[in-house]
Amino acid sequence: MKSGLKIIHWIIFLWLLLAIVRFELIIDYLYLILSYSSLFFTDTPSAFAVQSFGLVDAFLSALLFLLIIPLILFFGKRFRFITGKLNFSFGFLIVLGFVFLFAPIISNENPDFSKNLSVTKLLPPLSSVKQFELKYDELSNLSAAEMFRKKSAEIIKPSFNENIIFADSVKLSEKIIYYQKNISYEIESEQIIDESGVPLIEEKFFLLGTDEFGRDLFVRLIYGTRISLTVGIGAVILSFVIGIILGFIAGYRGGFPDILLNRFTEIFLAFPVIYLVVLILALFGSSVFSVIIVLGVSGWMSLFKIVKSEVLSIKQKDFFSTAELVGLSKYKLLSKEILPVIIVPVLVNLVFLFSNVVLAEAALSYLGLGTGNTYPSWGSMISSGQEYITKAWWLIAFPGLGLILTLFSFNSSGRMLGRIINPRLRK
Amino acid sequence: MKSNIVKILFTRFLSSLLTLFLLVSFLFIIIRLSPGDPTDKYISAKLGSELSEKIAEKFSLNEPVTDQYFSFVANVFRGDMGVSYNYRLPVFEVIWEYFSFTFVFATISFFLQMSLSIGLALCVMKRRSKRLDNLVTNASLFIYSIPAFVLGVALIYIFSVTLNLFPISGLKSLDYDYFTFFSQVLDKLHHLVLPLITLTLAGIALFYKYIKENMDEISHQTFILNLKASGMKEDVILKKHVLPNSLRPLISVAGVELGILLGGALITEVIFGLPGMGRLTVDSILARDYPLVVGCVFTAGAVMIAANFLADIIKLKIDKRLVKGILN
Repeated sequence: MKSGLKIIHWIIFLWLLLAIVRFELIIDYLYLILSYSSLFFTDTPSAFAVQSFGLVDAFLSALLFLLIIPLILFFGKRFRFITGKLNFSFGFLIVLGFVFLFAPIISNENPDFSKNLSVTKLLPPLSSVKQFELKYDELSNLSAAEMFRKKSAEIIKPSFNENIIFADSVKLSEKIIYYQKNISYEIESEQIIDESGVPLIEEKFFLLGTDEFGRDLFVRLIYGTRISLTVGIGAVILSFVIGIILGFIAGYRGGFPDILLNRFTEIFLAFPVIYLVVLILALFGSSVFSVIIVLGVSGWMSLFKIVKSEVLSIKQKDFFSTAELVGLSKYKLLSKEILPVIIVPVLVNLVFLFSNVVLAEAALSYLGLGTGNTYPSWGSMISSGQEYITKAWWLIAFPGLGLILTLFSFNSSGRMLGRIINPRLRK
Repeated sequence: MKSNIVKILFTRFLSSLLTLFLLVSFLFIIIRLSPGDPTDKYISAKLGSELSEKIAEKFSLNEPVTDQYFSFVANVFRGDMGVSYNYRLPVFEVIWEYFSFTFVFATISFFLQMSLSIGLALCVMKRRSKRLDNLVTNASLFIYSIPAFVLGVALIYIFSVTLNLFPISGLKSLDYDYFTFFSQVLDKLHHLVLPLITLTLAGIALFYKYIKENMDEISHQTFILNLKASGMKEDVILKKHVLPNSLRPLISVAGVELGILLGGALITEVIFGLPGMGRLTVDSILARDYPLVVGCVFTAGAVMIAANFLADIIKLKIDKRLVKGILN
């Protein structure tokens, strides 16, 4: 009887935590989904007009969030992984997975939202400011699509909202007086959104502080995780496909392609690839897509070598020549006969590749050549935080810590996987 | 035997030349494929279009691409890299200035990495404490996972901003020129402490992992058991038998590491504002200084190949059994 915490327990704990803390938001998302589907059936063209990436993202997250526990309970038995013992790196990887999949549920703020710089600039972690919202103009005769757009902007916060005001302190008298860096402003209390007559003044809490533009560091960290992982997954999949196919060709066929590919990998392995990556990104422009492609294309060599040597040895085995004689196609040979045999060493290599890619992406963003300023990224957060190093340590500490823990988790789980295939290292 | 080794080294040399040639061709293709025309910056309202045509003619940009390629390769292998656009100096002069710094910096870091990691591994092996072993292994994995830019910035925050012990960036103090020679060296070393830590820590962790795994493997082999049974001292076995045997796989890794270091420690140089090859390369790329880009990448490739070559020679020197292994 195994005892102790298992990975599945940790998943359920995180799920429950998120479900309790973000209960209202999830309900809101479900409401949005319902109203969107009713809009879709009544007025299809305008339903297409109101959809955006953020909306689809939130819908998918909410649906997946509801489905994930039944899915795990149903299909979980197939993967012995989730009943394995929990340790730090697996735990952290699962947290990363949650952040990646459920970012809209963890926070519905926009990572680029910035307002009232004099109040929110460079706030330390765990600080809070007063926040209230001006009343919106009441528009009559809104169409269904416009109603939906207004409702969804309330739930999925846009990157700019003029009506939200941050203040250091607020005084309630006949008029409302609020202070922003010792400058006072007056406002009629009717202008503010209220709750049964009392003006609604909330505390806006910044868990990890704010950056130089007054943007919430926690939200940026969450969405930065997504960018890093997206780049990592994309590049690793690309490397996987290229490495497997070329390795199969080189090992199975031999001859000229083999010689050519060997020479090619030698160039790439005998050279600091970072310069080529920087060169290509600088010359051809950098975006999320180009970073994924360049990192994916520059990472397949070690995989190629593994696959090639494994294919060379499998080629001699009886089961493979039988499959060949039966007349399986090249694709079937690769996917049914070779892949299952080599999957574990390949997987280990992919895990290490993933941590290399995440590191490379962060380094490129640090140099200003990464995924651009469109999305927050750990590397670019650190590089912009370096300017404020004397004033704001948290700008570097949190993205840096996230990066270190991610790389550590991947490296150590890669090492654990490696021990499974290489029992010599097990003691 | 002797002629065999010379033959191997010669074929290695030829294949390295081929690799360099392919690398340079690859660069040429990338630069030609990239958007933008080098003569664009000579087009302006005042000058008219003739100038850009003249420039294109002068730099043989009108000729067929294949002709351009052959003259480019011929020039590169004649050692004529052209003139840097930004520095207005021959490329080799610019590179020499930056490479001298990188050479010193990389060599110091490399020897620190090697000696400290071997020392640490020996120390851990001697203690034979499982707990210490696990601790150091996990710590080295953690240190290895710290990206250079996070580590560098954290070190600046701790030692420069908070404790005010080391300078934040640069290589010389403001009043450097008034120092005596001895204090000039000290000043440079003082500036290099944090960059060296940043560059060296990850390398120590990496080498430690390699050495430790090899040592573990070798110390379980039968000949070690035999030596133990014959009553040899543990220390002597460790130093005379386990260590030399476990160094062999390390040397090729060390060759690659030395090559990467000599090609320029990009991130470390950027954080600390040091005048090294890494920053020169990236700056030249960002400024589209093509002759300098080719020069830098060529140097990095050549240095990498030289380092691997050196590693091969050392391996051959240590272990004659490898002659056949390298031949394949």
